[in-house]
Amino acid sequence: MIRHECLELLAGKITDQLVVTSQSGQRIEWSYLSRHEGNLLVGMMGCAVGIGTGLALALPHRKVIVLDSDGSVLLSLFNLATLGNLRPKNLIVFVFDNGVYSGSRISYPTATAGNTDLEAIARGAGIEKTLTIRDIETFKRKALGALKQNELAFFVCKVKESLMHREIPRPNTDLAENKYTFVRYLERSEGKPIRFIGRG
Amino acid sequence: MEDQLARRLVQGLKDAGINFVTYLPETRLSQIIPLIQDDPAMELIPTASEQEAVTIAAGATLGGKQAAVYMENTGIYVSSYSLLTVGKQLGVPILLVAGYLGGVPDQRNSFLYATIGSHTIPTLNGLGIEYMVLEEGERLEERIKDAVRAANALRGPFALLFAGEFSV
Repeated sequence: MIRHECLELLAGKITDQLVVTSQSGQRIEWSYLSRHEGNLLVGMMGCAVGIGTGLALALPHRKVIVLDSDGSVLLSLFNLATLGNLRPKNLIVFVFDNGVYSGSRISYPTATAGNTDLEAIARGAGIEKTLTIRDIETFKRKALGALKQNELAFFVCKVKESLMHREIPRPNTDLAENKYTFVRYLERSEGKPIRFIGRG
Repeated sequence: MEDQLARRLVQGLKDAGINFVTYLPETRLSQIIPLIQDDPAMELIPTASEQEAVTIAAGATLGGKQAAVYMENTGIYVSSYSLLTVGKQLGVPILLVAGYLGGVPDQRNSFLYATIGSHTIPTLNGLGIEYMVLEEGERLEERIKDAVRAANALRGPFALLFAGEFSV
């Protein structure tokens, strides 16, 4: 299983969900596969789960999806303890775990290539619905099936390292442009102004 | 901090529009936590690290809340990465409400805190984050409103550092 095929399947299921990506190959692949205005392409590691949690708490009626990586989740493991206690029902976290720091271009192993089990950490942190997925059929059945459920879910998707994100166009929207597109989409779809935009 | 001052601080946050507070507790301002918790107009979110207190607050802000992060000033060091990347680079307004441990006006300053305090303002300056130091309750409510307005206008974090009579 590679990340791109998972994302391609997920992209076909997106309607009005909000999708937050961390900085890694999936940010590039997701922006290529999905032009949804509810995509927030966060350009830094270790921040997507936190931002997704804040969105899920602020908008409890909207489904929020976080696309993250093993390296990024390892950078902010405290998120799992917080999530395990808050348990926002409208949040799903997908961790595409390739076991390497692929973005470093030398692909040295992350802790998950060794003894570290993110599913076990998440469960121990208090997240009840957590699963390690190793094949595309299980991804279709379990991970995509969770989109229809109202429960915090944390899926560790074990994927082979793929360099497809280096072969497709990188997103050409800068961070601020993406943020405003996202916020304007929220204003329209929620029918209320986002407070900090204000008027000049 | 006297109870009356804690109540004014929380009311000031509320009057300034703050309706979502993430936090990691500390010693100087901790009386505000039960007051916020008891107020149905404000959502209080406990966190395990100031780094995520900032990112969760940022997500809530993007989702339409007016968010604050309550932390010790040591949390500014811990969260400097997310303050820079999410707060400054992405451009998300967040009010930082920080106990100014070890700052010169900290009434409980000691060798435990002084080094921490002496690096707080240089760190905020290094991050490009504007701030105000509050030492007394005079015009407290107006200054909190000024800070929230500044954060929104700047599209970034703004820090309120509390010492003086807030640290008694």
